[in-house]
Parts: sequence; structure tokens; C-alpha cells
Amino acid sequence: MTVFNAITCADMPKIAYVIEPRFSGGTSAAVAAELRAIADFGQLEVHAVTSRTFGENRHIAPVLRRALDDLHIPLIWDAPRVCADFVILHNPSFLKFNDVLSTKIFAQDLIVVTHENFLRPGGEEGFDVTACLNQIEASSLALRRTLAPISPYNRRTVTDWLSSTRVARQWRVFDQDWFNICQTEVEPPCESPRDRRGRHSRPGFEKFPSMSDLDRCFPKSSESNVILGADALLSAGVLRAHWTLLPFDAINVDEFFGMIDFYVYFTAPTWQESFGRVVAEALAAGKVVLTNPATGATFGDAVLTCDPGDVDGIISDLVAEPQRYHEQVSKSQAVLDRYSVKSFKAMLSKIMTVDSGVLR
Amino acid sequence: MIFIEAGTRSLRSFDAQLIFAEQLAARGFNVCIDAEYLPNDAGRGRVYDAAKFLVDPGEHVVEIVFVIGADEIDDHLLASLRQKQLAVDVPVIATGRFEAQQSYIAAKSRLAYALGREATVLDLTDFQPRSMLPTAACPLVADIRTTSRSAGKKSNVAVVLGSMELEDTETLSCLSRMSNQSVYNLRLIVSGAQNEAIRTSPFHDLPTCLYTDLSSLILATSTDVLVMFGHGVAGVRMAAFAVELMAAGGIAIDCTDDEAIVSSGAPALIGPKSLLALDGYLTGKILGNIARVAEQAAKSQWLNSVDISRLETAAGLKPTKPEPVRTEQRTLFYPTNGVGLGHAQRCAIIAKALPDDITPIFAAFPSCVPLVRREGMDCIPLVQRTEISDRFNGNDVLTYRRLGATLQENDRLVFDGGYVFDSVYRLILERNLSAVWVRRGLWPDGRSRPRMLEREGVFDRVIVPSEAFEELNDTYSFGDNIHTVGPIFRKAALTEDERDGLRARLAERFGRDFDHLVVSMLGGGVASDRSAQLQAICGMLEDRADCLHLVVTWPGSTVQPATFGWKNTRVVQTFEATKLCLAADVVISAAGYNSVLEILYNKIPAILIPQSAPYLDNQERRARALADRDLCALITEKEFMKLERTVSDCLDQGELEIYRSALNKIDLPEPGAAKAAEIIAEAQYQK
Repeated sequence: MTVFNAITCADMPKIAYVIEPRFSGGTSAAVAAELRAIADFGQLEVHAVTSRTFGENRHIAPVLRRALDDLHIPLIWDAPRVCADFVILHNPSFLKFNDVLSTKIFAQDLIVVTHENFLRPGGEEGFDVTACLNQIEASSLALRRTLAPISPYNRRTVTDWLSSTRVARQWRVFDQDWFNICQTEVEPPCESPRDRRGRHSRPGFEKFPSMSDLDRCFPKSSESNVILGADALLSAGVLRAHWTLLPFDAINVDEFFGMIDFYVYFTAPTWQESFGRVVAEALAAGKVVLTNPATGATFGDAVLTCDPGDVDGIISDLVAEPQRYHEQVSKSQAVLDRYSVKSFKAMLSKIMTVDSGVLR
Repeated sequence: MIFIEAGTRSLRSFDAQLIFAEQLAARGFNVCIDAEYLPNDAGRGRVYDAAKFLVDPGEHVVEIVFVIGADEIDDHLLASLRQKQLAVDVPVIATGRFEAQQSYIAAKSRLAYALGREATVLDLTDFQPRSMLPTAACPLVADIRTTSRSAGKKSNVAVVLGSMELEDTETLSCLSRMSNQSVYNLRLIVSGAQNEAIRTSPFHDLPTCLYTDLSSLILATSTDVLVMFGHGVAGVRMAAFAVELMAAGGIAIDCTDDEAIVSSGAPALIGPKSLLALDGYLTGKILGNIARVAEQAAKSQWLNSVDISRLETAAGLKPTKPEPVRTEQRTLFYPTNGVGLGHAQRCAIIAKALPDDITPIFAAFPSCVPLVRREGMDCIPLVQRTEISDRFNGNDVLTYRRLGATLQENDRLVFDGGYVFDSVYRLILERNLSAVWVRRGLWPDGRSRPRMLEREGVFDRVIVPSEAFEELNDTYSFGDNIHTVGPIFRKAALTEDERDGLRARLAERFGRDFDHLVVSMLGGGVASDRSAQLQAICGMLEDRADCLHLVVTWPGSTVQPATFGWKNTRVVQTFEATKLCLAADVVISAAGYNSVLEILYNKIPAILIPQSAPYLDNQERRARALADRDLCALITEKEFMKLERTVSDCLDQGELEIYRSALNKIDLPEPGAAKAAEIIAEAQYQK
């Protein structure tokens, strides 16, 4: 019996996830939500690959651990081979410090979900994409290899990168976004918004704009400014009397959202969120989000896009007109619905069809 | 200003910053390092290296940022870059040795996140596929230049011991034999532990230099042959040393277990793996063939891979050869400060004797500045050593900076002092100074002569001002560059009328007549405290109504408040101490070089009280030489109870006449100031 016969003999398609379970941020949260959604679609296996990016330990991201426990799915570490109808490999950048992907993959469809942007703003590579994709290609035997971008911006970096490389002919690109599931109800907005601003992110330098932009976003004139994830600012001694700087895990996110009415989020101009879970969380918390146009593109009119210099004016207008603030928050639910479990399943059902050659 | 930043903060990366900063500075770039980088445990040598470059970034305009060691970047660097808020037109260049493309991308990305724009990242593996020390954070580059190494000159051989254990006495005795070789000068480059092992061994006089004592650039210019032992290259400083040396036409001999230098492609010779075989190898094969070996090495393509100009081109840096600020040679005297101001006074006497076409300047400690300026010479004030600072040599670092700002290449430095400070040693080597050491003798017993003399080699001339009596002229070193001259002291004279007039003015000034004038002059320097002795003298003279006692010190000297409480004693701070001594009936003095010579040559009756302190010369020997000839009374430290009787003998019992008579009869050598000045004027750079 051939490998492909073995894959397709079951009644339900076999779906294997190949992941690096030690990602601590958006990737693991997205995978965890996805596993819960995809479990209905077939027999599910989850394979963990130990990469040099995270060293030798086998610590699993808590959010992922919970999902696997709930679904009663064992995590299989460093299997020599993975055979499935669909193999979904999340975030290929985990291979960036590896020389080879030791796990051999046999699949009808190999889907590589591109969580990290292939290119940074300006066109520089975000990571060694060629090396990562070459490892996957060298270790896989699949009828189709597909790159699945997670957002419009992420898609653009993938296609731009492919357009400049010979690797392109080995890969096709999904025409739909393999978005992060953001399953949540939108909290109602506050009755009377005040100029209480904040931002929340991991503490990396890429997540923060220049000091001058940060000063524009969080000025003395506002009632309060809370920066959660300000570890780098704190260790560098960058202090402002009108800023409340908190390390990444100092308070929980709900508590943070209770301290602000406006979520003001700008990053280094040389880096771009590929999806923007933090923005989705702020929208779900019933906050008005102000961000740059590229980050805002994923969320349409649910966020206000602007430059840091415009932040003050926008906030003072909305504080003066609470009705407009409420209207802005009310746009969030429709947008977040686009990233619900239901929408994800709908997207999957278009992929895992009879046409795919897997479902019968 | 080019800011040299490092990917991480450690002693290792700080060394790399210093090395690269020095290389760029030598190429004419204006470079600096943020003072935040200075490690707490930098050690003495690094502090001197760093003093030239450390700045408070807020006080300088950033023109270029150069990041070294970008293959390993920590948040300190990123925070530093972000806080600089660099203008968009300020280039940021980073170098690193990137093992993989991802490392390169990661470095580029992280820098871009901090900067908000892209940096120019240069992969050093493109320049040097095989590095002598792949872990070096700085680019191992050098200015490729031909340095003439005169064939007849004794070669300077530096041996890096690497990880060699030194417990074996056979190794040390071998090194000792080598250090006594007449055909080459040996310098051992050692770690702190190796240095300690040598110092505590019977071979403690071996000529050692710590890894951090001198910069790689200075080591390279003062070495002809480098021999490297151990496993691998012993750190970034030694790697830079080897590269600099080969780039400057020196010879590197690779005795490492793993042939670390040769395997990088460098044009080094493979030497014996055992130290015991090195001497024969050097004398038999190398020293007679230095020119030919260097000629072959100069043809190596490897030199192209370490050429700093390639890196400059890739980074968009345009070197400018610094032009000298002055065209005429400057002569600077740097007297140290001892018990009194003898060093400064001696230097002033010599400086006054220089030919008219030399206009000397001085750099001196605050207590000496008025003395020098009074003689009509410019003086740069230095900072006195202080007990307050944790860094025992903090003031010398400042001296290094001040002298460094004053002296340029080929200037002339005249140093008068016992111990050659790091500042002096380094500047002579760094600036190729024409250097003269004025070194009076009579060192105290117990002081290690080799220690005192280990830096003598950097001076072109050594002037030894002799003592008045031959038995006091110890010889510490030999050679064509050692010049013994006659005693150097200040001449003064008073006619009988002038003497009477001065005594009358003193009586008027202090409102009392006196029969006897006693002057106490125990010194005004910093090396020892004489207040107890002075109080005893004041107390002893207090009951003598016929006596005026003057405590004479230099202006600015510290005088104990208690000295002012005596009826018969007055404190006089003056530059004219010698004239007061000439007017006195008897002088109670320490037995320093200057005081004794002034007493002798000016025929002043004196009671000498020799002082002792770790810094001082052997005053007791000097005083005893006079006392044995009945030229003075002598009271040693242990005989202080004799003081009252001695003073009484002098003032009441006619003892002074014995001394006056002997002083008038004694034959003394010709003074040596003019000869010393002549030697200094002739001294040219000869290294």
C-alpha cells in the first residue's frame, strides 16, 4: 500500500498540525482556537517540532496546552514522519535557525500558515524565508503546497516575496485569508468617554514607535496614559511623569482595559503586525482603537487609522461627542464576526471539499 | 563624532570597542564611546585606553553610529539607539560575523526596529572568510603600512604565553635566560594570574606586560617579533595585536597548539610548540632574517582581507589624515611631586638653562604651579592624587588626558620622578615622543630596582643628577643613553649687608628682636607628614627668648594649625626659602636632594633630620655623608631626643663654626644643570 493510499483510506480526512508549541504570543493563541474549530473536520493529530529558535526545553504555551487537554489530543514531539490528508504547518519562521526539518511530511495538501510577514515595511526580509520554505519543501511529499496568509497585509508580503524568488513555482497562495480566530462578544462602550489612553503589547522594540511618536500618542494633556508591556522603557529609564509604565505581565488585560477608553497603537515603522490580535482584543473590550493605516487594514472601519500627530485631535473630538464614540465602538462587532469560529469553519469548508481530492 | 556601539555589554565587547575606536582614531576619524559602556571591572589599562574615547552622549553631536558585534545584539544597544533619536541622515553601520543568513536578517531587523529605519549591516565573513578569532566583536582590521625596522637595531620580541601554566620553574628559568639575551629584548604578555605567578617566583624580575597594559596599536608599533603560545588566540586584544603587527611589517610566529594564526591564512611562521625551543629558533632562524621574512609576509593576499580601508569604503567612511596642529617641536617638563617640590624645582633650573630657541612649558601639580610660573614659564596644572577616589590612579588618567591634549607626535617630554607613571609611559609610546627621564638616585633600600627601571627603555635619554659625594652615586643601569651630570640645585647668594638687612626686616615684620634665627624647612610635599617633628621643634625653641624660629614652607603648603600657636615660632610661606636659610644661624632641614645641595653649595650650617617614607630617597645615607664630614649635625628618626641638645650646641656652644669651617673647605662637583639642558636639547626621537 502506498503512502497516499494509507492517508486516504479513512472515512474522515486525517488532519495533522505541525507546530512549534513554544511560541508565546499570537501564533499559539491562533492555533489553539483553530484546533477547537477544526476538530469537527476530521481526525486530528498535533505534532510538535523542536526548533533552535526556542532551544531544547519542551515548555508548551499555556493557551495551547489548555486546548489540547480539552480536546484530549496528545502532543507528539519530533515524529520522524507525519502522514495526513491535510498537513497544516503554522508559522514556518520557527525553522529560521534550523538547517533541516527532521520530520518528514506526506500529505495531499500541505498548508503553511504564514503568521509572520515575509517582508518588513520597506521590503527587507522579515526572516530567512527561503531557508524555511526550502526545509519544508525538502522534507515534504505533497500534491499541493500552499501558503496561507493570515491578513491582507500579510498576503501582500507573501506575494511580493514570491514575485522575486524562484521558490514561487513550488507554492501556491490561498486566495482567502487564514485569519486568526477572535471569538468574543464586544463589551459595551463606556457611557462618557474620557481622555484615558493606553497601549498593550509585548515589550519588543518592534512594537513601539519612536520616542517622539510615543510622546505624541501619550501627551501630558491627556487624563491618563497607561503603557502595559513597557519593560524596555522601564529598563532604559525612559520615564515620564504623565505615563503609567507597567511590565508585560504586571496586570491582566481586563484590568488594563478597565483603565483606558482609547487604545492607541503604533509600532516601529520598520515592522508591521501581520494580523493584530491586540487590536482585536481592544475592539472586543469596547474601546476605540487608533492605529496606523496598515495595521488598521485588517479591521476595516472598526478602527480609526491616522498618524501619531493626529491622535490628540481625534480623541478630543470623540470625548466631546460621546455619541460618535459609541457609534465607532458599535462597528466592532461586525468586523469581529469576520474572525469568528463560524467564519473560520466556513473558510475551511471551502478548502476541504470534494474538489480537494480528499473528501468523498 | 562617530559613536562606537557594541551589540552586547561585557569586558570582551568593551575591549573590541576600544580597539576599533583606536584604529579609527588613528585613521583620522573623530570617534567616541558612550561612557555607559565602561564596565565596573575595567581594570587599570582599559581605563587609560577608554579615557580618550568615553563621552556623555548628550554633549556630542552624533554624525555616524558604528555598531560592532552585531551578530549578538542585546536590549541595551537597542535602547541606546532608540534614545539617541538619530536624524534620518545619520548613517548607522553595523558589522558582525553572521553564521547564517537568518542571523544577518535578525540583526538587520532588530536594528531597524530600534532605529525606525534600516541600518547598513556588513557581514565580516565577506571580508575575512577565515578569521583569526571568529568570536571577536570588532573587525580584525589594520592600517596596512610599511614600517621600517632598522636591521642593526636590537629586536623587540613579545611572547604571548596564552594559557601556559607557569608553576614549572623550568619554564620560568627558560624565560629568564631569554630575558638576558643580548640579541633581543624580551617582553612577556601575560594574564593577571601569570603575572602573579611570576611576581611570587624567584624570577620576579621578568619583563611582563599585562594584556590590558597597552593597546594593541602601541604593542604592535613597539614590537618586531610576536610569538603566540597557547590554544587559540588569547582574546581579541592579542588577535588585534597580531593583525596590527603583520600589517605593519612585523613578524608573527605561531606556536599555538592549533596553529590559530596560520590557519586564518595570515602570513605567520609556524614556530616550536615548546617554549624551551624558542630561544634557539629565534636566534638561529629568525633574528638574522627579519627583513627577508617580512618581505615575504608583505606579499600575502591575506593583508588585503584585513585592510581597514576596505571596511571604510564599504561603510562609506572617508579617512582624513590628521594634520599636526603645530610645526615646531614642543618641550614639556613634567615633574612629579614628592616630599617637597624638589622635582619641580630641579626641572625649572634645567629648563632655564635650555638654549634660547627652546621655549619649554610645564605640566605640574598645583603645589608646583606657582613655582614654575614665577620662573616665567607656562604651566598646565595637573590634578593631585587624592585619597577620596576609589581609583588610585584616577588623577594619572587625567594627567594622561591633559598631556595627551598638549603633546603631539615627536614632541619632547622631560619627566622628573622616581616611578614612571602609566600616563608618561603610554604617551611616549603613543605619540612617539622624544623622551628624557631625569632620575636622581639614592633610592631607598628594599625598592625593586628592576620594577623601577622596567619602563626606562621608553626614554631616549636618562639624566642622572649626581649627589655631592661619590659614595652616594649608586648606579642602577648602564648604557649609552644614561647620562650622569653634576648636582642640580638652585643657587642663591646674600651679601653680608643683604643678610643683615633681611634679618632686620624679619625682626620688624614679626615685632621682636632676636639673636638667633632658626629656620625649619622640613618640606612641603605630599609623601610624608612631618607635623609631629615640627611641633617638637617649636616646643623646644619656645623658651628661648633670644631666638626667632621660622617654619618655612612653599606657598599653598598645608601647615598644621597648632604651628601658629607658638610665641617664638612664625610660619612663612615663600618662594625665597633659600634666602631665608642664608640669613639664618642654623637651618633644621630634611635631607632631600635639593635641600642638602643648597645647604652644601650655599654653605649654610644645618641640622639635618632625614625623613623616611615609601616614596622617598635614602635621606639618611645622604645626611650621614655630610655629617661624617662635619658639614652638618644629624638627627635620625631614632635620635629625636637629641634635638634640644644639638640646637643648644649649635646656638650656644659654637658648634656652628665647625660646620661653617668644613663647608668652606669642602670641594664639590661642578653643577650639572647646563649639561642636563644640553642633553635634553640634543634628544631626538630614537625609538
